[in-house]
Amino acid sequence: MNRPLHLQKVLYRHPGLARLAVVVALFLLWEISARWWIDPSFLSPPSRVVASFGELFETPGIPKALQITFWELAVAFAISVAAGLPIGLAVGLSRFSNRSLMPIILLLYGTPQVTILPLFILYFGIGPPSKIAFGVSHGIFPIIVTIVAGVQNIKPILMTAAHSMGASRWQIFRWVIFPHMIPTFFAGMRLGMTGVLLGVLLAELYVSSAGIGYFTQLFTQAFDPTKLLGLVSVLAAMAIVMNEIVRRAEVHFGRWRTD
Amino acid sequence: MTAGDAAIRIRDVSHEFGEPGDAQFVLALSHTSLDIERGELLCLIGPSGCGKSTLLNMIGGLLTPTTGNVEVHGKPVRAPLPRDIAFVFQENALFPWCTIIENVKLGMVFQGVPKSEQEPRARKALEAVGLKDFMGHYPAQLSGGMRQRAALARALSLETGTLLMDEPFGALDEQTRMILGEDLSVLLSRSEKTIVFVTHSLGEAVFLADRVAVFSARPGRIKEIIEIDEPHPRSPSFVTTEKFSRLRNTLYGLLHDEIRKAVEQSATAVPQP
Repeated sequence: MNRPLHLQKVLYRHPGLARLAVVVALFLLWEISARWWIDPSFLSPPSRVVASFGELFETPGIPKALQITFWELAVAFAISVAAGLPIGLAVGLSRFSNRSLMPIILLLYGTPQVTILPLFILYFGIGPPSKIAFGVSHGIFPIIVTIVAGVQNIKPILMTAAHSMGASRWQIFRWVIFPHMIPTFFAGMRLGMTGVLLGVLLAELYVSSAGIGYFTQLFTQAFDPTKLLGLVSVLAAMAIVMNEIVRRAEVHFGRWRTD
Repeated sequence: MTAGDAAIRIRDVSHEFGEPGDAQFVLALSHTSLDIERGELLCLIGPSGCGKSTLLNMIGGLLTPTTGNVEVHGKPVRAPLPRDIAFVFQENALFPWCTIIENVKLGMVFQGVPKSEQEPRARKALEAVGLKDFMGHYPAQLSGGMRQRAALARALSLETGTLLMDEPFGALDEQTRMILGEDLSVLLSRSEKTIVFVTHSLGEAVFLADRVAVFSARPGRIKEIIEIDEPHPRSPSFVTTEKFSRLRNTLYGLLHDEIRKAVEQSATAVPQP
């Protein structure tokens, strides 16, 4: 009699179960529609995508292309952080540079850069450098903007306290400003990662001679959705792993907030 | 008392915020002079905005006087003197990303204490304030009262001759405040420190101080100085004595008119349309 009520309670207590149920339902819908309703040259069922992973990796050029794209992502991300952190600090810590430069940064951040993608190809060629540059141009702004915000909302009393105990400028940076902005810095890095992924993949799809962009176009034009979706799954996995690494580090360094 | 005895000499000190003629201009403190003896606990009490915190910050070198000067142990104060002066603030000024013991040690890092001395001094200070079992906790895990104990431990570990306390128990509830006041009295009677203590509480001032400086409403001046002639450490029963009530009533009488004046000032300070 009260079984449905019981099930409701169990689901309510474990949101993870409900989440899992939604994911399973979506995959089922995908599987069923791909098998019976949709033209196989447009969509292939997830079971077949998974089954053909082996075949995908044996396709000549694919492992190399994945390697190149992963490398482009990593380099673009590293440059975004390495340049975004000092720029964010310089802009955030000085009232003058904040007021003079911040509007420019916000303007650039808000501009849809995809319109100038052809210029990136023109300047950097069709190889990896243009992908990296376009990735950086997407990844660096969220990092700068979050760091600027992060160094600004620091409690003045903490600066006064450090000052009263004789802290030097460097010590104030090392022990007050830096730990204060660590959580925002990680949040910025995650946003930056999303930006880098978007930038690199957009540039890859636009024109590509070596990365996975070339193959996604090839598979689409050859009506081979199995391999296309396989490739997309690998990319998604890459994005999830990178995001999770940063998220774990964020939780670790932000212990003092939640504990 | 000869002039050489004074640990802190304040001469003709004023402080203005903003430029004269400005709408925002405030004369917070006006031509104040005061000597504070070595080892004395002086309370500053007065209505809001009378410049008592301003005076404390000028003694500590966090603010520069507009006129006059302050000397601590014969040295003119122009910037913070971390080797001579430690602060305890009203607000929680612990670094939230450091554990309690790390917070205490960080003060010594800033002050320049050799690394090998930091750990034992931090432990000793935390034991003295009763936080021995909470050294590894983060400030967010402690109550407001415990956080102020930790802030006090940080100031004590710096081993300065002077301690400046700006309403350190201001944000706490009455009962926590009473207990902390009693503990502070015991703790400080053992030290030779010179202490300047800003408070709003009449009872706290009488219970803790050797002398209480009563401020007038803005522009702040010292209206009168009351001696509290009672040896330290003071037992909790001091609060129930007739002497305590008499001193408290004297302070109340001195303050009452000034508080009224301050309230009227803040009412007329509303900007004209």
